[in-house]
Amino acid sequence: MNRYRTLPALLPLAFLLLMVAAPLARLLQEGHAGFNLALLQDSYIQWRLAWSLGQALATCALALFIGLPMAWVLARFDFAGRRLLLRLLMLPFVMPTLVAGMGVLALFGPHGVAGINLQDTPWLLLYGNLFYNLPLLVRAGVDGLEQVPASRLAVARTLGASPWRTFWRVEWPVVRPWLASALCLVFLYCFSGFGLALLLGGQRYATVEVEIYTLVAYELNLADAGVLALLALAVGASVALGYAALERGLARPQRLAPTLRQPAQGWPQRLLLAAALAVLALCCLLPLLAIAWRALQADAAVWAMLATPEVADALANTLRFASAALGLSLLLGLCHGWAAQRWLALRALVFLPFMVSPVCLAFGLLLLYPQYSASVWLLIAAYALLAYPFVAKGVLSAAAALPPQLPQAARTLGATPWRSFYRVSLPLMRPALRRGLAFAAATAVGEFAVSLFLSRPEWATLTTLIYQHLGRPGAANLQLALLLSCLLMLFALLAFVAIEWPEKNHARAD
Amino acid sequence: MLKKSVLLLALAGLSLSALAAELRVMTHSSFSLPKDRIAEFEKQNGVKLSIIKGGDAGEMLNKLILTRANPIADVVYGIDNTLIAKASAAGILAPTSSKVGRTEKDAVLPGAVAVDYGYVTLNYDKAWFAKAKLPLPATLDDLAKPAYKDLLVVENPATSSTGLAFMLATIADRGEDGAFKWWEKVRDNGLKVSKGWSEAYYTDFSRNGGSRPIVVSYASSPAAEVFYSKEKISESPTANLLLKGGVFLQVEGVALLKGGKEPQAAQAFVDFLRSDGVQTGLQTKMWMYPAVAGTVIDPVFAHAQKPAKFSNPSLAAMNSKTAAWVSRWNRLVVKQAN
Repeated sequence: MNRYRTLPALLPLAFLLLMVAAPLARLLQEGHAGFNLALLQDSYIQWRLAWSLGQALATCALALFIGLPMAWVLARFDFAGRRLLLRLLMLPFVMPTLVAGMGVLALFGPHGVAGINLQDTPWLLLYGNLFYNLPLLVRAGVDGLEQVPASRLAVARTLGASPWRTFWRVEWPVVRPWLASALCLVFLYCFSGFGLALLLGGQRYATVEVEIYTLVAYELNLADAGVLALLALAVGASVALGYAALERGLARPQRLAPTLRQPAQGWPQRLLLAAALAVLALCCLLPLLAIAWRALQADAAVWAMLATPEVADALANTLRFASAALGLSLLLGLCHGWAAQRWLALRALVFLPFMVSPVCLAFGLLLLYPQYSASVWLLIAAYALLAYPFVAKGVLSAAAALPPQLPQAARTLGATPWRSFYRVSLPLMRPALRRGLAFAAATAVGEFAVSLFLSRPEWATLTTLIYQHLGRPGAANLQLALLLSCLLMLFALLAFVAIEWPEKNHARAD
Repeated sequence: MLKKSVLLLALAGLSLSALAAELRVMTHSSFSLPKDRIAEFEKQNGVKLSIIKGGDAGEMLNKLILTRANPIADVVYGIDNTLIAKASAAGILAPTSSKVGRTEKDAVLPGAVAVDYGYVTLNYDKAWFAKAKLPLPATLDDLAKPAYKDLLVVENPATSSTGLAFMLATIADRGEDGAFKWWEKVRDNGLKVSKGWSEAYYTDFSRNGGSRPIVVSYASSPAAEVFYSKEKISESPTANLLLKGGVFLQVEGVALLKGGKEPQAAQAFVDFLRSDGVQTGLQTKMWMYPAVAGTVIDPVFAHAQKPAKFSNPSLAAMNSKTAAWVSRWNRLVVKQAN
């Protein structure tokens, strides 16, 4: 049996070796002569490190505090449009940082609709972090809470447990591993974050990754950058290992009669539902609405610019790169997730692509594979690198919840391990796999993978086109960028719906 | 079987590359030329142009320096006067010249062939100043006065070449210590720092929903505002604020890379960038002035006042001191240490 779990590991391990470990090692080798730990005694660097850690932890705490109640409501109550809402919640992931920033400022900026100017305050910084990270936590929470067996909840209630007690004793243990993996991801994103928080909170809140970026891209100081990148990697690795240990300790197979959702009944429940929806809309959807609202006011001449070949090419490229990256992600994610069930280190390695400083990775790849640096294959591999952990994570969580009796029964009945996996385990994991793929798709159409690598004009995706227009002055450029952002949202939404299309025989899958 | 297919693949690759020679051109991310001009060049020279965008100019140069043992391009466009000394010191450029056209007096770029030039300077929001009934600042020092508190946004020189150019101008004008004294004063007067030009212009500049009516941008931006206006307008909503010590002359050029292939096609590309078609076409694509003297300037540039004076440090100083200046700037302005 073990062999069938270890063999698939070879593929993702080889991929990580070629795409992460070797390039990073090559970059470190280039700068190692000048390694000097005195850098870490510099108060400026210490301040950046402390801030990076602090804001990442704060965002985790805040996302958990706000996200868990939202997830509970979404997992327990049924209402019209629930499925659509879950898809919409992934849209922040797709938005280019700069556009998202404009959306937030349209609400809470100097001329914002809300009438209060929060620009350059810590409030807007936290808001920006929630905008991107709350959806991750809410989705994970919903997934976890849906695994809670209905019978256990019923037993707890029959025995007279209060809803509060039921939550802590029955639901919390089940949802914990799901939350842990989402929190791990939120931490890694925030720790090495380069984006919205910086844009909204101002330069004082720059993370250590900004420092690494400057050292590598502008100063070519690979020695200092190497020290910082290793330190960041150590922090990320400890968090991921901690999570892996925690999840392994927590994961337990669940029974297959999950708790069903019910419509909200009575005023308290309806109020709860309304409040949860309001908070979610405020944190995640309002900035997107603001963008759409501004975009729709574009003049006819700007609308006409949507019909240019430039836009058609960008749309085709987005589709092409995203599907290629998704195909690769599916393969890598399945292998990695399935193999990682038994190995703690392999489990932590799922997060490796998010632990390594992106700019170091980009320059390392360039050093290691100069002849392929401007090839489309390297680009797709880079997209897949940042997308596949979502698939692996989904597989891992779903595999942990698989009842061991079913594949065992299949084996007893004479099925080969492959057949037992294909016919029994895989179908049971399909909903989680699809969710993972949807997040992977969001990553692949978003900006995460593209900005640091060499690119070619003929590879321009919607995201690159948006940034191109925001790189020039003029109202028409701004309006076109906003319209393109709406197009991107629409495209992503269609992709999410297609990927998570409800299956006939899995009525509850979503 | 495997060997056979590898061989076949290799053969296929060879025959493909024999069909049309490929000229690899490394550029910064703002590079843009009319498509028909590029097609014309490919046809005339029998090569396929592969444009490779390497990010912001500074980032692009570092990518070239790192890969100098295995050059990833044959020609580079977009190295400017803040970077040329660094590129020359790293030894990545091959001697390059062009017989096409005569270069404008100010467009000096030793070690490369100048293609275009422009000015980094302050832009202001006309409507904001009219509404606030505030006179325009007459010197950079005015920006440190209480009347102009919280009005200025600049890009961080550590992450933006626009921000870097502006910082260099202040240093050239006041000397290092004088410039940093000024930066400390404007910092205390509510200076806002953004990551890059796009962030500053589209989230902080008051014209686009921000709160700052003065932004570090380009002297050509007011013209671009007219060119890219929604409906035809006859006056730009922004204008240049040309203050002493706040104007940097940026000269961009093209050069052959050491170890590059296709030297003939590469030279043809250099001459192509100096040709009248490109010199005319680049103006409203990249919003720079043509470096070849006598090129007809696009009428829309009448909306942008061209600076008469600028302040640049010497090329040698920019090569040896820029990293230290940027680091000092960040400590002073971002960390707010003294």
